[in-house]
Amino acid sequence: MFGQSMKMAFGAILSNKMRSFLTMLGIIIGVFSLVVLVSLVTSATGSVQAQISEIGSDMLSVNIFTDQGKPIKAADLAEISENEHIGKVAPAGTVYVTAKFERDSADVTVYGTTASYFEIQNLKIAEGRTLRGFDLENHTYVAVVDANVAETLFPGKSAVGKGLSLNGTRFEIVGVLESNDSFSGMMMGWNTVVVPFTTAQRTFSGFGSIRSFYATAASSEDVDAAEAYLREYLTARYGTEDTFNIFNMNILAATMDQVMAVFSLLFGGIAAISLLVGGIGIMNIMLVSVTERTREIGIRKAIGARRSSIMSQFLIEALALSLVGCAIGIALSGLTVLIFNIAARSSEMLSQVSVGLSPTVVIVAVCFSTAIGLLFGLYPANKAAKMRPIDALRYE
Amino acid sequence: MIRINDVCKTYIMGEEIVRALDHASLHIAEGEFVGVVGPSGSGKSTLMNIIGCLDMADSGEYLLDGQRIEHYSENELAQIRNKKIGFIFQNFNLLAKMTAAENIELPLVYQRVGQKDRRERVAQALERVGLTDRKTHKPTELSGGQQQRVAVARAIATNPSLLLADEPTGNLDSRTGEEIMRLFEDLNREGNTVVLITHDEKVAARTGRTVRIFDGRIEEGV
Ligand SMILES: Nc1ncnc2c1ncn2[C@@H]1O[C@H](COP(=O)(O)OP(=O)(O)O)[C@@H](O)[C@H]1O
Ligand SMILES: [Mg+2]
Repeated sequence: MFGQSMKMAFGAILSNKMRSFLTMLGIIIGVFSLVVLVSLVTSATGSVQAQISEIGSDMLSVNIFTDQGKPIKAADLAEISENEHIGKVAPAGTVYVTAKFERDSADVTVYGTTASYFEIQNLKIAEGRTLRGFDLENHTYVAVVDANVAETLFPGKSAVGKGLSLNGTRFEIVGVLESNDSFSGMMMGWNTVVVPFTTAQRTFSGFGSIRSFYATAASSEDVDAAEAYLREYLTARYGTEDTFNIFNMNILAATMDQVMAVFSLLFGGIAAISLLVGGIGIMNIMLVSVTERTREIGIRKAIGARRSSIMSQFLIEALALSLVGCAIGIALSGLTVLIFNIAARSSEMLSQVSVGLSPTVVIVAVCFSTAIGLLFGLYPANKAAKMRPIDALRYE
Repeated sequence: MIRINDVCKTYIMGEEIVRALDHASLHIAEGEFVGVVGPSGSGKSTLMNIIGCLDMADSGEYLLDGQRIEHYSENELAQIRNKKIGFIFQNFNLLAKMTAAENIELPLVYQRVGQKDRRERVAQALERVGLTDRKTHKPTELSGGQQQRVAVARAIATNPSLLLADEPTGNLDSRTGEEIMRLFEDLNREGNTVVLITHDEKVAARTGRTVRIFDGRIEEGV
């Protein structure tokens, strides 16, 4: 019986291909936008989260607005790093200067910090070395430059061992960072030069005391405890929480999650509306179909079709319309994602992005389409099933 | 088998009241071949619809195999139409999108007969009306006479106890009409109860017993 109904439903759909296709279009577009948009958001979330965890979501950054004459010293940072919840600590001061080499110059951001900074920020050295304790103790004039600076000032040559003038003071380049197009790279900015904190304090006017520093938690479970400790420490020092700010990478990850969830919902909502419109399209065409086939319904009833047989015939037809539409929508989404990935691979900016169909949203799309087919098929099917055989037979 | 007692059916068309059946009574025994004859608009089709459980009388009683029809639910009526009655209409009433075999199969599908059994009975019915070689043809690919034979095959496929034919030859030329009439005669000889509705006296004359209907009133024939 069910097999027969299926056969009849597909027969009816295939006998009027153009009309069936146009009817399905709403569902196709709805499913397509739902699957593609949500898959995009899901993949974007995944890759952003991956980049955040690459920086280390166990990182805390501290900014002090006014030190009230009690500046943080290197010894204080050492004390902080002794805490059981804290892993590494590195001061970070920035100053914007012009870097020169022979005729070439570049505007750079100078970070004055310690060796720990590289580990905290997960910065990798492509060539040469990072800062060492020795550099800080002796405030040597050494610098680690990023790949951008190296490429700008020393195109095609090794920068290591070269001299670099920062606001007129000569530094020796001891290392070059790996080029970093990840999220942490974006946060740090391009054109950066890293020098020993102590050297920066002496060299650059306005660099002053430690106004900001980075710390890592001892482990990812310690992030909140580490933040609490820092807050307590700084509050004790300054007597108020208003003079400093602690930024927790976990918050960034959580905020990102929230933003993406909102996007998912928004896109999902838009898609749901177009699915609903698609459902109305199905109902409309099913009503037309029921009217057109009044005589057929009469014949079927005359030869013994029960109400439920007629009902299921039209319900299955509506369901088939929406599910075939759904299948086409999913297939189109798959194709789009495939093409997107191929295009992204050859593009520099998106080379790391790879979108996959989110299985969850595919399941949601199928469930939604089923519900739509049933819901909007119900009224026409019931209308067909309720017809009196005698009236249906006489219908011209 | 059929007992119709004092049945009325009226249609209200605006101001006008049409008495399609006016205190009509009719008894038909098992195995009979009854011709119902009357002019157009006399209430023949109305009578057939009531006998065929497609419609309900306004008043009076109708007993089919001793059971009062009014007591049945819609689904039970569908089942009765399916199992006990075979319809043959003037305009064939075949499903245009289905082949001859599928049309014949349909009442068996509604009877939930298994596929293998179905195929056998469809083949038998096709053979019975001599259309085995046309089983995959759609109605539009068949002549009027062939279409009506498919309709007869559909009606007999379920082995109903009653065949109801409403002007089965009305849309056919005399030669093909003759074929159909012979089919009914044979079916009756094989024990089928046949009620044949017609406005054609010559057709009516070939039945076993003629019932005349005029303005909704039934008079037993000559
Ligand atoms: N559904 C209906 N609505 C209104 N009048 C009807 C309807 N069906 C039949 N009639 C009227 O009832 C009368 C009998 O019709 P019918 O039984 O079809 O006659 P026949 O089949 O003998 O030509 C006719 O006058 C017809 O117009
Ligand atoms: Mg008639």
